[in-house]
Amino acid sequence: MDMLTGIELGLQTALSWHALMYCLIGVSVGTFVGVLPGIGALAAISLALPLTYYLDPTDALIMLAGIFYGAQYGGSTASILLNLPGTATAAITCLDGYPLAKQGKAPLAIFVTAINSFVGSSFAIILVMGFAPLIAEFALQFGAADYFAVILLGLVAASTMTLGSPFKALAMVVFGLALGMVGTDVNTGQFRFTFGLFELADGFSIVALAMGLFGVAEIIANIGQPAGVMQNVGKIRFRDMLPTRKEWKTIAWPTLRGASIGSFVGALPGTGPGIASLMAYAVEKRISKHPETFGKGALEGISAPEAANNASVQAAFIPTLSLGIPGDAVVAVLMGAMILHGITPGPNLINEQPQMFWGLIMSFWVGNLLLLVLNVPLIGMWVKLLSVPYRLLYPCVLIFICLGVYSANNNVFDIFVVLGFGILGYLMRRAAFPATPVLLGFILGPLLEENFRRAMLLSKGNLMVFFESPISAVFMGLSLLFIASVFLPGVRARLSRRTPKILEDDD
Amino acid sequence: MSKGIRRQFLKRLGAMAMVATASLSAPLAQAADSAFPDKPITIVVPFPPGGSTDLLARKIGESLSTTLGEPVVVENRGGAGGTVGANYVAKSDPDGYTLLMGVTGSNAISAALRDDLPYSPVTDFNPVSIVISSPLALVVNADSDFQSVQDVLDYAKANPDTFTHGTPGVGTSMHMAGELFALDSGTKLVHVPYKGSAAALQDLLGGRIDAMFGDILVTSEYISSGRLRPLGVTGTQEHYLLEGVPTIADAGLPGYAAFSWQGLFAPAGTPDDVLATLYGAIEAALQTEDLQTLFRERGFLVEGMTPAASKDFIAAEVEKWTKVVDAAGLKK
Repeated sequence: MDMLTGIELGLQTALSWHALMYCLIGVSVGTFVGVLPGIGALAAISLALPLTYYLDPTDALIMLAGIFYGAQYGGSTASILLNLPGTATAAITCLDGYPLAKQGKAPLAIFVTAINSFVGSSFAIILVMGFAPLIAEFALQFGAADYFAVILLGLVAASTMTLGSPFKALAMVVFGLALGMVGTDVNTGQFRFTFGLFELADGFSIVALAMGLFGVAEIIANIGQPAGVMQNVGKIRFRDMLPTRKEWKTIAWPTLRGASIGSFVGALPGTGPGIASLMAYAVEKRISKHPETFGKGALEGISAPEAANNASVQAAFIPTLSLGIPGDAVVAVLMGAMILHGITPGPNLINEQPQMFWGLIMSFWVGNLLLLVLNVPLIGMWVKLLSVPYRLLYPCVLIFICLGVYSANNNVFDIFVVLGFGILGYLMRRAAFPATPVLLGFILGPLLEENFRRAMLLSKGNLMVFFESPISAVFMGLSLLFIASVFLPGVRARLSRRTPKILEDDD
Repeated sequence: MSKGIRRQFLKRLGAMAMVATASLSAPLAQAADSAFPDKPITIVVPFPPGGSTDLLARKIGESLSTTLGEPVVVENRGGAGGTVGANYVAKSDPDGYTLLMGVTGSNAISAALRDDLPYSPVTDFNPVSIVISSPLALVVNADSDFQSVQDVLDYAKANPDTFTHGTPGVGTSMHMAGELFALDSGTKLVHVPYKGSAAALQDLLGGRIDAMFGDILVTSEYISSGRLRPLGVTGTQEHYLLEGVPTIADAGLPGYAAFSWQGLFAPAGTPDDVLATLYGAIEAALQTEDLQTLFRERGFLVEGMTPAASKDFIAAEVEKWTKVVDAAGLKK
């Protein structure tokens, strides 16, 4: 089937009144769970899944997928307004989003992230439409050694960029790596560092970690200021949201770069939007002419990661729909939903279920347009949150965090984990240790180890395997370049002129 | 925490009510006893939603709720390969209101594999019924040189520690099927564990591992599209989703058989009449068109074992896998 016929078929499906309705429900729910700290797409989809039993499979998928990408729109809102990430993937958006809000530019920042999200999604949807099978075949070429090289590059790029106290940042990356070690060793099945706590057998939950270190820590830090930074928010005019010509220029390239990085990461099974936004932020800061503005409200610092996580979420459908291999944990649940409806995702899906494939893809367009229309008018409402006193707002936020963390596994233990990380995060702030590198180490560390050991297992311990595969060799080369650039005299001199600034420190 | 307190409170309330009714009239109390169930039943699925165990639990739950006249709630408590959810049910009240949709990993292999398991799959549960079983398929990449089970056996015998098979993780039924293959054939294979079967499938499709003992339904999609080649099924007879594919036992490894299975479990100490009521409802469920369609589509084989047969089956499974785990030196 050629693309035009596909698009036509897809539009017929996606524009039917019931598909439109479920799409609207999906993206609305997605936006709200995205905004609410702690409750993310995974929890929402898991809860909504049983409700879709009685729906037509295509409608069910359209709705569930809408929750998934809708959450990526909403996730940044709480990060920007309250320094509380709405979803784990939006933690990075706190870094520059919150400073923007403190400068009174919250409407602008939220508007910009809505645009970034839309561009990021569109970029990836075009890739899904035109090249899904091709890209999936390419992704299939990635073996353990190649994954290792890509993740190493991510880790190197992100850690060498940290300005301020490099020792504290490095210490926190290592701390994150150590936290990532907790849980079942993939290779042997041995429980590691679980201290006899059976609940730790799968390691710490990423949601609990991110919500603790960023969300709960922020709340603890504000105890004693019950009024908070209550801002008197007047009527938000559309004019306040619109970026100036100069600001449009600032965000254009970071958005496209973020979208590319996100699409790449998203199409690789086993990664996800969290890695995409971290990498996009690292790259932006690395290549920026004004890296010192990052962490102080740089628009690039919200544009790139927001475009990246949306692109990643849409691109995750590439391996799922064309190969039956889920791009990340949330899509895995969506795949479960397909099987539930008697459709087994696999290499035959596009040919055997063209109506579903194209209907879903075209619903992505519909959904993203709806999200844009939905989100822009909501900006005024969200910004009003700033006028709610902390003594009312924070207890609600804490309840949402607990609900979100609990609902992931129906496990009370995770609520204590979030509390523990909250206290830890607060202490880290007081000592000016940045939290982002912990998240970085925690997300990338386990993937790095898993793929390193698998590569060793498959190559019988031959370390050259990382340079023999062309994909891996390229990424290893890039990593070496990054490291070398730190030690090259000219670069080092330029680096040392930069004002030290710790990523996280905003008090 | 609050749940425990609430449960204790309810229990005490229940006990008080029971004493009250008993003292008032003995026959009435008896009637109340046989009135199981008189409140909603929870089926714990020890995995996140969307998997085959979840699907089975929900379909069975629907049918149980019709038969028993009380709502059946499915609760997902994922973690540690199903053992977190199983542990939760093992420690629940043995009153038939908290049940587990257990699988090979959580209710047999884990007993063989782990010393540090906080529950015993054998003594901490009263099985209601082993509901279904499902064989696996030994598959290789379509471009691979292996054409038959015999090819694999010959190669593995000539090249110890070389033939790689991917699995969704240590202690899964796919892993055990591979270890049993090695034990029965006296060969040494390289076990390559992944986090989940999709990642293993990815490397198999990419030609980076030699083989996989995979889910019949999932692999059949790749077999029909010509990407994977089935060499044998692990069951005792051919499977209808893979017609013409011999069993591994017939294709060169006599006596070999490995299944994954799913069943409904109650905590140990659950009264026999409650188990009987639940089993009756399972029997009725297996007759429904809805479940028969599901089984056909998913490639499940209906078992529907009685509580007594299920108990013996679990004991035999634990013994079987303990032997394999010990031979492979996997004990934790």
